[in-house]
Amino acid sequence: MKLNFKSFSTLSPFVKRLIFVTVVFGIFAGLNPSFANYASILSIVQGIAFVGIASIFLVLLITSGEFDISIGATAALSALTSAILVTHQGFSMLSAFLISLGAGILVGLINGLVVIYGKVPSFIATIAMLFMCKSLATFVSEGKGIADFPDLHEGFKDSILGEYFSIIIFIILIFVGEFILNKTNFGKVIAAIGSNPEAARTAGINTNRVKLLLFMATGCGAALAGYLSLLHFGSAWFTLGSGWELLAIAGMVIGGTSLFGGKGTVIGLFLGLLLMQVVASGMVATNIDPWWQTVITGVIVLVSLSVDMKRKKVKFDAK
Amino acid sequence: MASSSSNNYALEMIKIYKNFGPVIALDDVSLKVKVGTIHGLIGQNGAGKSTLMKILSGIYPSGTFEGEINVAGESVKMSSPLDAQVRGISIVPQEITVADTLTVAENILLSELAMNRKGFYSKKNGLQKIGKFLEDNEIPLTADQLVSELSLHKKQILMIASALYKNPKVLVLDEPTSSLTSDEIANLFSIVRNLKKRGFTTVFITHKLPEILELCDAVSILRDGKTVRTSERSDFDANQLVSDMIGRKLGDLYPEKNILPKDARIIFSACNLVVENPRKPGEIMVSEFSFDLHAGEILGLGGLVGSGRTEILRALYGDNRVLAGKLELQGSEITSKDIPAAIQSGIGYVTEDRKLEGLFFNLEIKSNSTASILDKFKKMGLLNKQKEKEVATEITESLAVKPQDIYEMIGNLSGGNQQKVLIGKGLVAKPIIFMLDEPTKGVDIASKAEIYRIISDLAKEGVGIILVSSEFPELLAMSHRILVFSGGAMRGEMTGDITKERELMIMAIGQS
Repeated sequence: MKLNFKSFSTLSPFVKRLIFVTVVFGIFAGLNPSFANYASILSIVQGIAFVGIASIFLVLLITSGEFDISIGATAALSALTSAILVTHQGFSMLSAFLISLGAGILVGLINGLVVIYGKVPSFIATIAMLFMCKSLATFVSEGKGIADFPDLHEGFKDSILGEYFSIIIFIILIFVGEFILNKTNFGKVIAAIGSNPEAARTAGINTNRVKLLLFMATGCGAALAGYLSLLHFGSAWFTLGSGWELLAIAGMVIGGTSLFGGKGTVIGLFLGLLLMQVVASGMVATNIDPWWQTVITGVIVLVSLSVDMKRKKVKFDAK
Repeated sequence: MASSSSNNYALEMIKIYKNFGPVIALDDVSLKVKVGTIHGLIGQNGAGKSTLMKILSGIYPSGTFEGEINVAGESVKMSSPLDAQVRGISIVPQEITVADTLTVAENILLSELAMNRKGFYSKKNGLQKIGKFLEDNEIPLTADQLVSELSLHKKQILMIASALYKNPKVLVLDEPTSSLTSDEIANLFSIVRNLKKRGFTTVFITHKLPEILELCDAVSILRDGKTVRTSERSDFDANQLVSDMIGRKLGDLYPEKNILPKDARIIFSACNLVVENPRKPGEIMVSEFSFDLHAGEILGLGGLVGSGRTEILRALYGDNRVLAGKLELQGSEITSKDIPAAIQSGIGYVTEDRKLEGLFFNLEIKSNSTASILDKFKKMGLLNKQKEKEVATEITESLAVKPQDIYEMIGNLSGGNQQKVLIGKGLVAKPIIFMLDEPTKGVDIASKAEIYRIISDLAKEGVGIILVSSEFPELLAMSHRILVFSGGAMRGEMTGDITKERELMIMAIGQS
């Protein structure tokens, strides 16, 4: 038994987390065999696709040592703006899509400028942005929502691609994010900035430019998530995206991204979100009072964080 | 190529003059470094070393100073630190700046990666390339190791490797030994010597003379913004170098010891004390030992880093567990339960690490100096600020802290003055025994002399002093007696005598 545990601890963090998610899924499937089918797996992934898409570039931003709390509000603002443009102003869906991405990039740009040149800590600057975007979204939608957004294409929605486009985009973006972090010079530069800005500067890296770019990418990702959600549901409410920032943070922490910067993993984010959603759906499937769900999520976050800390401490003592 | 082939200098800084407003920082300073040598640059803090290096590294760009700089015979004007790097000057700063979450290879490659941000990163190629580079230059690092797992010393070697990877014409090491143990220093020296064999030119900045004598082919001495002397190795004369450096004789550094009366009162005694290893709860760090401390006595604890000196002080201060034994303060038994109890009973402690656990860097002198006795300023449950101010002013004046402004932020003070405030912070509680751990670490010579004077004055007032220092001359010159520890046990006792450095070293190494 001890030996097993030892060999488990030498596995890569990714495999360890994958095993853990599978085990948790297995437990729920054991309790309710009808839980173990493709449909429920797909609905679990669907359930995290939008918050996931909004968080991909946030992982890169956090790896560089900055933060963006405003992703959910940005998603709401851009989704509602494009919904209004299409339904009330007669804009085409493509132009509304581009405008909504533009709005996300603009929000990211403002966040970045305020943080980098205004020297406001990113946590605070983006909380302010969260409030502004949220109330703007409420304002453009007149406190309601848009429910009559047209389908992308007759027949498209019924095809496999139409049904799962957000999942497909999510998975593509996971690979893009992971590729950037691990297989490009830029990814190493991002990690270096988050790990030690001074070391990055002396290596000749323009840290401000990189961070600004990442803020804009994060805003763009959030806007994309908002628009895809609009497309998926055919409707958008001003409450869209609320709580995403907390889910994203929890998912990253579980997945092994350091909130202090320097170390990020997009696949980890995916697994973290997946774990939380498996627990949530599994509890519904096994008739556990759903009010416990957030408590369990909290416990998972705490446990995964303390496991990380413990590992660090052991390493520290060893030297 | 206008440069003459007879020019064998890797670096020439000629007639450098730099002022900050009315203050002249560098006055006609010249530094000439021959190709393939290790050139020492020595001087006290404030002598102008760092200003000179800031000019060389492009932090003070061309035009903000007068004078000429030649690298490998060619005149250069540098506009920024990056520009200086491009022109072949790589500086390894004193502070460790590495990216902890990346590997050794990624750190070394970082500036290359930054230059080509759109490129793809191949872990395999990177490891191969850096692995070969490290092997070729005999640098004891592993390419794929995560930097957060490295010791401070290895991180420093990593910084040297990163600088070297840019293939500089001049490699500058700024105070590289300030936080290293003696083994690590020896290791560093062998790396630098290796580089010399491979034809690299190194400028070695330090304020420790023995390092210059051991390592360098030539030395330039800076004092008060001027180059006082440049000597070749064959002309090295330690005494001459010291007096050039400090501008006075060494004897002035240490105050006269107070003479202890034969019947000096014992104010503190430790009997069969066993001290715990704070990193491994339950395990013994220092096994059974006993000692007495007399009023007015300075008792040194000698030994190498890691011999348990600091742990003993912390145990007496209630910050580390005493596993067995008895403590008596002025005849009555005490237990070292926790820090407040220790302060209450009259035990003071000055930590060796003022940055990490000594001072509040975001607060002013006042709050720092009174932090441990705020209880005494209570007036109906509130803080009596007037009283606090008076105490802070008194301590600032009596220790001659500069500036004499109790509202100055600690971070703005020099290392020596920070250290004085740290000592003041312990003294305000009016301790009966006062323990100082490396009290002159990282301070300039003038402040050292002042700190020695403070310690000596305290002893004359009858305070019992326990002094820990890795600088053996300091320990020998200041202490009446020295207890020597090594390998987790007390090895013996000797009288404090500046001529007995060898004896102390042998005992500290623990070979009998």
